Amino acid sequence: MLSRRTRIVLAVLVVASLTFVILDLRGGDGPMSSARSAVSAVTGVLQKGASTVFSPVTSAGDWWSTWRNQASQISDLQQENAELRTLVRESENDRARADELDALLRVASVGRYRVVPAEVIAVGPAQDYAWTVTIDAGSLDGIERDMSVINGDGLVGRIIKVNPTNSTVLLLVDASSSVGGRVATTEEIGIVSGTGRQDSLDFQLLDPLAELVIGDALVTFGSRDGRPYVPGVPIGQVVDITGTAGQLTRIATIRPFANVSRLSVVGVVVRPPREDPRDSVLPPRQEEQVTVEQPQTDPTQSEQPLDERGADESNGADDAPVDDGATTQTDQQADQ
Amino acid sequence: MIVRQGLVIGGVLFIAFLLQVTLLSRLGLPGATPDLLVVSVVAVALAMGPIQGAFAGFLAGAIIDVSPPADTVVGVNSIVYLAIGFLAGYVVDTRDRTVPGMIAIAAIGCAAAALATAALDAMLGSPRVLWESVPLIALTSALYGALLAPLMIPLLAWLTRKLAPEVLLD
Repeated sequence: MLSRRTRIVLAVLVVASLTFVILDLRGGDGPMSSARSAVSAVTGVLQKGASTVFSPVTSAGDWWSTWRNQASQISDLQQENAELRTLVRESENDRARADELDALLRVASVGRYRVVPAEVIAVGPAQDYAWTVTIDAGSLDGIERDMSVINGDGLVGRIIKVNPTNSTVLLLVDASSSVGGRVATTEEIGIVSGTGRQDSLDFQLLDPLAELVIGDALVTFGSRDGRPYVPGVPIGQVVDITGTAGQLTRIATIRPFANVSRLSVVGVVVRPPREDPRDSVLPPRQEEQVTVEQPQTDPTQSEQPLDERGADESNGADDAPVDDGATTQTDQQADQ
Repeated sequence: MIVRQGLVIGGVLFIAFLLQVTLLSRLGLPGATPDLLVVSVVAVALAMGPIQGAFAGFLAGAIIDVSPPADTVVGVNSIVYLAIGFLAGYVVDTRDRTVPGMIAIAAIGCAAAALATAALDAMLGSPRVLWESVPLIALTSALYGALLAPLMIPLLAWLTRKLAPEVLLD
């Protein structure tokens, strides 16, 4: 059987592992979190280097799914092209309307986020069942815990761990993530929680009687002081609804706007908007917002998802100079 | 001698970890991420022996749990990989090993890692484990493991002969 030495070594290793589990489960700033930050400082730098070396391979894209989905991608692109043509024709009108709304709501100067751009340098393996990625910006760049992470398409997740030169992002599709969401057209609020699948989120309306339609777009509701989620960031679109109005467990499936399996450049919101007049739950303000928005949203309800896409496109354009490392202001709210 | 074995094991595992999080997990392959770490642990166990395999498993689990972007409970992967490393080195006698047998051990090790991590995470109250996707993850992980094994097992055998030949005398 096993020699005495073998048994001792095995026992020591098992006890060490169990000690790690217990120390880590205890939570707080225990010895495990300091070990984590010490190790992360080193591995983060190496990950950054390795990521740079492999970037030709990884940035060639998701070659597997590209190869598999080429036919459907072409038809999707054709459809998107048609949509965009319509959008271009309508955009002037929309822009004018948005400008008017902005002026009306006086958000032109306040609905702005200050964003620190960062690059995704490592992705956790699927076997851990956790959707987390490392980005190459850390506390030295002004990143703190519980800041929102966005990209040109919409919400990506939030910061859960910060080291000097890198930080870990919990993606919104992770099963332990939940975000307060608001239906863009009806202002109904609810909770968007991750399912662990990369293409779907669950959305549970707080008011079970509220109306919800497939195609509705969701934006973040916003948290206190913009932590962990700043208000007004596009989350995704309703693709399926289970249960009927009035049922207690009425859950909508949301397809997130941001494709979490193909993240490269993301932005960390280091400063939320100074004021957010439209997302406050205070009754008088809500009334104000309803009276202002009602005439605008009603006749155009059917094309609201298009508007959301328009917002995404323009945000993508705003993010373009983000690569040079400068702090950029991204106007996320203007189009709502 | 023990120090040199430790350095070989540590170096191989760290490079495997970097490859796994910066390259393999970003390829967008269906199902699991190719589990280079588990295959390396199995390769260490086959090249050096069960104790070295157990140590390699412990170290691999600690590296992946402590380094970003992990958000799992530290120690879970250590326990799982340590068991896999030990059993991989222990289960078949050195003289009875065949190439398909070693590849099968690596594949089974990868599948076992996926299943055991899911089971332990669920026991510790993680809300993340999607049971309906676990079979697919375990199967694809075994497949990728079988593909990686013919690279890692000869590499570790060669490294052991070059850098730590004293293990082979035991």
